[in-house]
Amino acid sequence: MVNILKLVRKELQLEWRQKTALGTIFIYVLGTSFLIYLVFQGHITIPVWIALFWVIALFTTVNAVSRSFLKDANEQFYYLRSIATPLEIIFSKIIYNAFLITILSLIIYLVMILFFNENIENKGLFLLTIILGAIGFSNLFTLLSAITARTQNFVLLAILGFPIILPLLLLIVKMSELSNFAIQQKDIYMHLGAIAMLDVITLILSIVLFPYIWRD
Amino acid sequence: MKNWWKYLSILLLFYTVYFGFKGTVPELDILEQSIRNLYFHVPMWFAMMLLMFVSMCYSILYLSKQQIDADIKAAAFAKVGFFFGFLGIITGAVWARATWGAWWVFQEVKLNGAAAALLIYAAYFILRGSFDDEEKKARFSAVYSIFAFTMFMVLINVIPRISNSSLHPGNGGNPGFNSYDLDSDLRMVFYPAVIGWILLSLWITTLIIRIEKVYRKKHQLDIL
Repeated sequence: MVNILKLVRKELQLEWRQKTALGTIFIYVLGTSFLIYLVFQGHITIPVWIALFWVIALFTTVNAVSRSFLKDANEQFYYLRSIATPLEIIFSKIIYNAFLITILSLIIYLVMILFFNENIENKGLFLLTIILGAIGFSNLFTLLSAITARTQNFVLLAILGFPIILPLLLLIVKMSELSNFAIQQKDIYMHLGAIAMLDVITLILSIVLFPYIWRD
Repeated sequence: MKNWWKYLSILLLFYTVYFGFKGTVPELDILEQSIRNLYFHVPMWFAMMLLMFVSMCYSILYLSKQQIDADIKAAAFAKVGFFFGFLGIITGAVWARATWGAWWVFQEVKLNGAAAALLIYAAYFILRGSFDDEEKKARFSAVYSIFAFTMFMVLINVIPRISNSSLHPGNGGNPGFNSYDLDSDLRMVFYPAVIGWILLSLWITTLIIRIEKVYRKKHQLDIL
């Protein structure tokens, strides 16, 4: 447990030290949102707003997470192996990535409110959706990025990730629409439950399968 | 008679094709004669699901035993499963054109789920092609395959139930085929058809595995 926290701190410190990498992803978020704003000529309805929000969030996630094992692919790999168990590594990476994706999603959210002047009705529920979605994204993309870091194929993460994230994405989009307007309270609980269930399933799979990836 | 199941497959498929086109079917509105597609469209998906399940089992076996034989089998089952899924999409599109009026219907979550499932497995083959090292290829693609099957099951079984917007029988408030008279005429052909197509898919898979093994032997890829 202490090791996991130390590893998360290591990730944060490394990220903070390389401000260019962090800046790249922030500018990417701003640029994409601004581009969408101009392309849609400044006015969209809430369902389109939600769809665009999650598409931007998904592309940002792929770009942000794809780097998460690149640093550790070579020399650091052996060092990390000697000081931490695979379980600690995957947990720390997932926690860090979930944190990063949540922050990035919140930035996208603010920028989208600023530009489009539209907002979700039930903001608390939408924030919960963002957090649950970020956890699910992190579970899947962290493991997949560990696979793709070993290949020289940089489009591979998107190819592997997009179809596999689809069940979660569909539920999240539906959940976002429900947080704007829900007829029945029952629907909200059912979708929240389904998203939480998928988060748990993906987390368990990632933890069980990661040791097989984390060797030479 | 070691190959009895191959003869059984041929026999059942001849039976399916003959009675599938000539047998009596219940007369229903809209479905009309297109209900005969039941003998071809549905078994494709059963076969695909079974093959993908077997593929995942071999992937798990590979991770626990590290024998390349299991990886060859996992890949072969996934290949044939993909092919049958593709056939399932095509027969489904033909049926959709006849009954729902379009080749592709957005409101149909199962259709979109099936297309996404094919994308997932297409990515699996791309992943396999991205490694030079055989052991790494087998290990990483086995990990991905387990993920892929789990999400495939969620797509096909969980999402349609939650979203509740399917045009398929038995979904979204539509009556299932059971409530029509699947009792005698349809059942008599449907069950043999399912068994026949599944046996055929297994047969194709065994051939692909054999071809792969011969190829490896010829090029001396197996390091003993």
